[in-house]
Amino acid sequence: MTALEELTKPAASLKNPYIDRWKEKGGKVVGYFCSYVPVEVIHAAGMLPYRMRATGSTSTELGDLYASHITCTFCRHSLDQAMRGEYKFLDGLVALFSCDHIRRMFDAWRFGKIDLPYSPYYLHFLSVPFKVDGLAVEWMAGEVNRFKQSLESHFKAKITDEALSQSIKTYNEQRRLLKSLYELRKKEAPPITGAETLAILIASTAMPAEEFNQLLKQVLDELEGRDGFSDYKARLLLAGGELDNPAYVRLIEELGGLVVSDFLCYGTRDFWDLADEDSEPVASLAKRYIERVSCPRMVNYPLRDQFVKDLVKDFKADGIIVQRLTYCDNWGCEGARTRWEARKNGTPCMVLEREYMMSTVGQMRTRVQAFLETIGR
Amino acid sequence: MTQKYQLHRGLYDVVKTLPEPFMKMMADWLGGIFTAVDEGKPILHNQFTIFSELMVALDIQLLSPELWQVVSLQLDPNACCESIDAAQDAGIHPELCSANKAIIGDTMLDKIPPPSMVVLPTFPCDNSKISYQTVAYLTGAPTYFLDCPYWMDEKEAMDYWVNQFRGLISFLEEHSGKKMDYDRLREVVEESNRCIDYWLEGVELLKLQPLPLNGPFVSGYMAGLTSLGLPAATAAVKASRDDLIARLDKQETAVAEEKARVIWFYYPVFWDGGLTPWMAEMGAVIPVGLVGYYNAEPIDNTSPETIIRGLAQRGLQSPMGRQGRGASELWIDDCLNAVEQWKGDCVILAGHPGCKWLRGCYGLFRDIARERGIPVMVYDVDLFDPRLTSAEESRARIEQFLTTVVFK
Repeated sequence: MTALEELTKPAASLKNPYIDRWKEKGGKVVGYFCSYVPVEVIHAAGMLPYRMRATGSTSTELGDLYASHITCTFCRHSLDQAMRGEYKFLDGLVALFSCDHIRRMFDAWRFGKIDLPYSPYYLHFLSVPFKVDGLAVEWMAGEVNRFKQSLESHFKAKITDEALSQSIKTYNEQRRLLKSLYELRKKEAPPITGAETLAILIASTAMPAEEFNQLLKQVLDELEGRDGFSDYKARLLLAGGELDNPAYVRLIEELGGLVVSDFLCYGTRDFWDLADEDSEPVASLAKRYIERVSCPRMVNYPLRDQFVKDLVKDFKADGIIVQRLTYCDNWGCEGARTRWEARKNGTPCMVLEREYMMSTVGQMRTRVQAFLETIGR
Repeated sequence: MTQKYQLHRGLYDVVKTLPEPFMKMMADWLGGIFTAVDEGKPILHNQFTIFSELMVALDIQLLSPELWQVVSLQLDPNACCESIDAAQDAGIHPELCSANKAIIGDTMLDKIPPPSMVVLPTFPCDNSKISYQTVAYLTGAPTYFLDCPYWMDEKEAMDYWVNQFRGLISFLEEHSGKKMDYDRLREVVEESNRCIDYWLEGVELLKLQPLPLNGPFVSGYMAGLTSLGLPAATAAVKASRDDLIARLDKQETAVAEEKARVIWFYYPVFWDGGLTPWMAEMGAVIPVGLVGYYNAEPIDNTSPETIIRGLAQRGLQSPMGRQGRGASELWIDDCLNAVEQWKGDCVILAGHPGCKWLRGCYGLFRDIARERGIPVMVYDVDLFDPRLTSAEESRARIEQFLTTVVFK
């Protein structure tokens, strides 16, 4: 099996052999919602950070007891998975006010609606600022410290500055490697598809960082010798909120739209910015997580607009597709504004609404096909 | 040339002739807006949880966009529909809260005086934060966000929040060209303390059984959004309080026979002003709702520092802001307290389709209400758009609930 094949497998299921091996060795796994959770802190505690998905969920019957019909389907499915015990491999869970859907779903965990493997279970909710300024960075440093202390206290662990600095280096290495992967996608004939890239990005959140980094280096070597994909109608930038299903991207690409870059939660927003390795680690993490490329939860939209514009230029995208989960207000308005801004810049842009589990595929195919026809080469 | 904002100007023309102190307060607010429009003076848009004290001290004209919608709905239940549709036609998703769609649409259609500056907190919800960013994009208006920590238990959290208010003062000074006069601010805050005392008394009087007047007590909240800190606002709220006392003295009650006290722990259905009188005809009264549920300490006027800290603390208490800024228990505990303190027989919750943060509390609340034997009804109705659930349908559902579950 190639490294690329190995690294695209974890996305297909909630758990994977890396997590199984980790648990067999007595390791702890701490789940987290949202890319604003400083995973370096979990890693420095000797635990495996695991980004929450609802892969494999087929129903929201149980989740809907506490979610509502206007909650996004990612949260409804995730809550359903939780209530069915699918996250029993987790030793704790961390979240923040990413959006109204996440915070209310997390309340169901806090209110004891999930049957948990032990008690008291580790649940931590970070208070991450919405603004990007000096005061917010200072506040975030306090939050990182509080998070660190809560992990130490609950799990009887010790997170030293040295361990945290090392974790920063590990995750920076990961981010650099991912950026190298993205550099390859700037080519006229990129050697990797958007679907494969998303699968790799998901794997980075579901296995030990050191093992991921090693495999990704091998992937980069393999891609040097791989034929590029040139048979496409258009180069696309895929934007939007939570998307952890490579099949969604594959559908777009099967129609001729090669996804060469993204502005996604698992994508550029998650890894684009590094943490300073020479500063005091808590301060460095606070600065990195507040000043990174933001998501619409943050109130600094002009910088996001510029970032998207730069990505379109750098990756020579012919158009933008914004995908968003129904009921996602952040991406509802952000998607509209992205389209208005794209129109000003002369970049074709469409907004696609979706549910967490792929449905109405026919309608999506028709819309994407039509879009590609209008912008394609 | 036809003047803009005809609906609101027409309302102003009526309201300014009315003698009641509450009407005078609203007339002053609307009149101030139109004077600012006609004379090209700055207008600050304050989101519906931002009270007026700092802006009053700087003599900056306020316009709460949500209140702008609400007053238009008193004249025409469909007043927001054109703007809602315009926002959707432009690409705003239909599941956004209709209040926010209406604000965005009003901005696009020039149905609201544009802001020179905008102030809002990062609560209560995504709808508000992202919509106001959209309005900032459309208008280019400088926008100040008061960033609120999720948990307020730690001293550092309050310090961070207080610093937001310091930043707000700098923002207001920069964009109004005026300097804060702390003696003036002291006067404004003293006046606001008096006003809030009347608000709290009014809310307290509605705990009485039988209810002297159908609630909820709204004048305090209207004062907060328009002119808290001005004598007209204090007079308006005092008059509402005095009205209650007068009714108590005469032993007048809201209804002849009080059959149920309904805790409507959300905002009213703004386009259906006849709903609560209709409920009252059945003997169902509303002693308290989210609008009237308020508690705040008087602000210590000793120094600018104590004033700013006091304003920040008060800023956490505004209706819906208080309940929406954090975890579910903030709303749940307040609702349960409302049931207990105002002797509620049941809870009716309007399921506003855009309100994800609150709808997400309902499942947890349902379990607790069931344990405590509190009848609860949730029904889908859009507070700003009558096209989802008609007035007739609302009444049919409420009547069924009250007659089969609540009335003894």
